[in-house]
Amino acid sequence: MLIRYNSISIFNLVKVISLCLLVVTFSCEDADYDLDNPFDPSNIDLDPPALFFHPPEINTNLGESISVELYGLKLDPSAGAHFDIRYDWGSVTVDSVIPGPFFTGLNEPMEITVDEQGVLDVFIYFLPDISSDQSQSGTWSIATVYFSTISTGESELLFGPNTTLRDANNELVTINEYGSGYIYVE
Amino acid sequence: MSVIRGIIILHLVSVCFAAETTKAVSMKTGNQLAVLRFEGWSISEPLTEFLTEELRETIRELEIFQVQDRGLTNEISIFYPRKKDYWACWSEDCAIDLGKRLKVNYVIAGNIQKKDLNEFLISGRLFSVDMETMINEFAMNSSGITDSLLLEMKKMAYNVSGLPVPDTLSVGTDTSEVATAGDIKRKRQWFKLPPIPTKIKALMMSTAIPGSGQIWVQRKYPGYGFLGTEATLGMAAIISYYNYNKAWGGFEENYSSYQDGTDPHTLEKLRPKVIQYAQESRRYNSFMKSIRGVAASIWVVNMVHAYLVAPSDDYFDGEYFFDLEYNPNVNQVQFNFNF
Repeated sequence: MLIRYNSISIFNLVKVISLCLLVVTFSCEDADYDLDNPFDPSNIDLDPPALFFHPPEINTNLGESISVELYGLKLDPSAGAHFDIRYDWGSVTVDSVIPGPFFTGLNEPMEITVDEQGVLDVFIYFLPDISSDQSQSGTWSIATVYFSTISTGESELLFGPNTTLRDANNELVTINEYGSGYIYVE
Repeated sequence: MSVIRGIIILHLVSVCFAAETTKAVSMKTGNQLAVLRFEGWSISEPLTEFLTEELRETIRELEIFQVQDRGLTNEISIFYPRKKDYWACWSEDCAIDLGKRLKVNYVIAGNIQKKDLNEFLISGRLFSVDMETMINEFAMNSSGITDSLLLEMKKMAYNVSGLPVPDTLSVGTDTSEVATAGDIKRKRQWFKLPPIPTKIKALMMSTAIPGSGQIWVQRKYPGYGFLGTEATLGMAAIISYYNYNKAWGGFEENYSSYQDGTDPHTLEKLRPKVIQYAQESRRYNSFMKSIRGVAASIWVVNMVHAYLVAPSDDYFDGEYFFDLEYNPNVNQVQFNFNF
């Protein structure tokens, strides 16, 4: 009979100890992560400062409207830009160009677009304000180009040789590398 | 999940064991006696303690009762932790309750009053714990100082033991005995939990709340030390957990935005935040693990300490796991286990 009493004591003890061990051994999770987002500038295989199309590849259907951002990777401050964009004018047509935040200060930037048979020239100028006469540096969207697809097939987007950026002193801003883009129309 | 399931099964098993336990009611009456410290009225506390011990010693020498050691009897302050341990424990209920807790068959409670300049009244009551009643009440008048009081205590020891007082002790005193052992009726005992040895109880208490076992057995400073240390570590762990939780929340939010994001500018801003929050959460988690390790070690030390400092219950035979007893048959002191 006595062994049963002892059993109760031992079982109570085991219960308490097991609860305590549960509390003691309970641990929080360690942060485990992979910074592998393909749109992360650190994962883009370009040597900064660089210009690239975002997104670099677009899959779309015939007759639809698409947009592509002209993006600058770790750019130095600039006051104006000339984009010489080459595209397959048999596959897509340019609808419009909207300036992005890179040249937007207190004033909206000034923009001029010339589209001629597969060559899109975009001129964007920073309008000086009371605080600055050129844009801030960094990775920013410079402009967004809206296309409409007119035929199926693959259309490559390229920066032409006339593409340049200039600072407030009209000095050329260094661009080490240019990315390319693709539009797949089905 | 499996841990939780295991604990639930453990609970169920222990409940089953507890439910099946029954204790046979024994009519055996032993001769174990506890002498509670006498209450002193208008006499000093050391003198009261001394006289009580004199009574214990005398009864022990008479070998009618097996007198519980003073240290063990004074453990009762665990149950009634007040400055004067047995004061106001003059009633039958109180004395019998203490007797049950002390696991004895008889209890003596009493008081010593100073009535006049050199006149003392010593009153004592003998209670039977098994029969739950008062058996005898003694009252003695003494007209002397300390020596006379000692004499009175010796005489009371003889009275309690049921032995005639020797002539050498019966000079110049007035002893009266009141027999009250009538209408003895055993009270019905309902379900009674089995006794848990003090060491095990202290261990369990300190396992549940660090230091509580030590405090319970009147080792207050180590008890408060363990309790304070664990509380401090617990607070540090809570603060760390709060910071960890904050960092973890920031990490989850930013990492989720990073994984779902498509804008390079936004992703460029999110990337250092993800790294920063991840580092912070790791740092706080590591700190928490360190605290857990230290706290667990101290917890174990606290448990062992509680077991060691708790008084052992092996004074009497047969109640607990083990005891030390002299076996006259083999003329040896034996260490016995009860299984």
